[in-house]
Amino acid sequence: MRHTIRFTGVGGQGVLLAGEIMAAAKIKLGGHGLKTATYTSQVRGGATVVDITLDDNEIFYPYANEGEIDFMLSVANVSYQQFKNGVKPGGIIVVEPNLVHPTEEDRKKWIIVEIPIITIAKEEVGNVITQSVVALGITNEFTGVLEPETLREVMLSKVPKKVHEVNNKAWALGIQYAKEAKAALGM
Amino acid sequence: MAREVISTGNELAALGAFDAGCMFFGGYPITPSSEVMHEMSDMLPTVGGKFIQMEDEIAGISVALGASMAGTKAMTATSGPGISLKSEQIGLGFIAEVPLVIINVMRGGPSTGLPTRVSQADIGQAQYPTHGDYASITLCAGSLEECYTQTVRGFNLAERYMTPVFVLLDETVGHMHGKAVLPDLEDVKASIVNRKRFDGKPEDYRPYDVPMNEAAVLNPMFEGYRFHFTGLHHGPTGFPTEDAAQCQFNIERLVGKINAVALENDGLDDEADYEEFMMDDEPEVILIAYGSISRGAKEAVMKLRNDGIKAGLFRPITIWPSPEKKLKEIGDKYKKIFVTELNMGQYLKEIERVTGRRDFSTLHKANGRPIAPLEMVAKVKEMF
Repeated sequence: MRHTIRFTGVGGQGVLLAGEIMAAAKIKLGGHGLKTATYTSQVRGGATVVDITLDDNEIFYPYANEGEIDFMLSVANVSYQQFKNGVKPGGIIVVEPNLVHPTEEDRKKWIIVEIPIITIAKEEVGNVITQSVVALGITNEFTGVLEPETLREVMLSKVPKKVHEVNNKAWALGIQYAKEAKAALGM
Repeated sequence: MAREVISTGNELAALGAFDAGCMFFGGYPITPSSEVMHEMSDMLPTVGGKFIQMEDEIAGISVALGASMAGTKAMTATSGPGISLKSEQIGLGFIAEVPLVIINVMRGGPSTGLPTRVSQADIGQAQYPTHGDYASITLCAGSLEECYTQTVRGFNLAERYMTPVFVLLDETVGHMHGKAVLPDLEDVKASIVNRKRFDGKPEDYRPYDVPMNEAAVLNPMFEGYRFHFTGLHHGPTGFPTEDAAQCQFNIERLVGKINAVALENDGLDDEADYEEFMMDDEPEVILIAYGSISRGAKEAVMKLRNDGIKAGLFRPITIWPSPEKKLKEIGDKYKKIFVTELNMGQYLKEIERVTGRRDFSTLHKANGRPIAPLEMVAKVKEMF
């Protein structure tokens, strides 16, 4: 079974790291995971897209096939608009509603879920950098693709010890918000 | 025991160099190759190796060549624009017969082109990176594992043939992050080739006095064996000469020690020069692709087979000198051949030359975007 997940944002938001963590967790669980990133030469502020492919079998093409993506998360409008069409019809797209503005047509084509990821990181966790970990919790809660405890452990192994506590908090909040959103959607 | 790691192609290329015994890195950072340099700067000091970030690309290769002249295994890493800047010194490496591994993580060009995007447009540059006559050795990694193994192999070929060797990665493979299973370290160590040395009396030492199609024997410096390095044509001791017979011999030997030897022995070493993917059941169509593009081609082969078209993939790993014998065999055997590259047809020309055919179906892109399996599938289906 192949899962393809796409994170989109702008350079500097940390979406690259979130992708690496998901791929590493899948590998730790005995499967295959590949992360590729596409970014512009405008490092800060340029549209960034991270494709994560998770499979029990070997993965050859390392990018998502356009139109086959199961789940996308976006924290920047420029990259949302540029990369949304990779998501399969009926797929789930989580957006940061303060920054990403889906059209009415988008809402018919995909399940658009609004979670204020950056506000949660800034105000509830208290550190904007943790937005990628909030996103990680949301992504796994929606896709259910990885065993949560393994993913959390891999996440902690990628960040310094002194920030483990805030990242655990970010992770838990991500899951909590995703659960609430799923309940509201009747999922 | 095989080693399972989670890493990127650039990091694994650096690890391959380290495990191959590289003790010197000189270079200048450039996207998308910089991580090779970062890793070397971490690893080399731990074993007494030397890492220098120089003031520019030219100085980067110059110090690496100098280190190799002194007898140390050395490497530089860059991307296409860096190769352009380094090209004069690459020529010095060819004529003076200095082993050096040059990693090129390809990005879009020409000039500064598309810094962060993938390309395979330096295939031609790798064959003829500088002026004059010589032969290039160029290896191309198509997986995370190969970023490691082809770099190790690059060092072995550089030492054996006394020449600069290109290891081509591209932005996709270089930055791709995932699982790689690396060969056992003891096996890697056992495979290491070191350059020949002359152990006779110093006064009898003639580093360039070697037979046709053989590599120079350059002893490490500072051990009492005196000789001269120059970019000029040179005689047995390395001092300049314009003797007509000597100059002709020099160039025939430089080209022959690689091209003639590879043709005669069907390869430069015992390592695989190519991969045949799903080619053992008489496919109806053969795809030819290398580097990161071959990954999409593998998926295309499987999709085509699901759709009832028996496809296979031929993937060159040694790009220069090309696996001529095998390419010719494929050209003779299969009617339907599809060539896809992330450039305007640089390797297609070599396939046409070797096979003598001009009737291939092709898919070439030069916009910095990868080629998706479905694009290949659609194009291959047009052949039926």
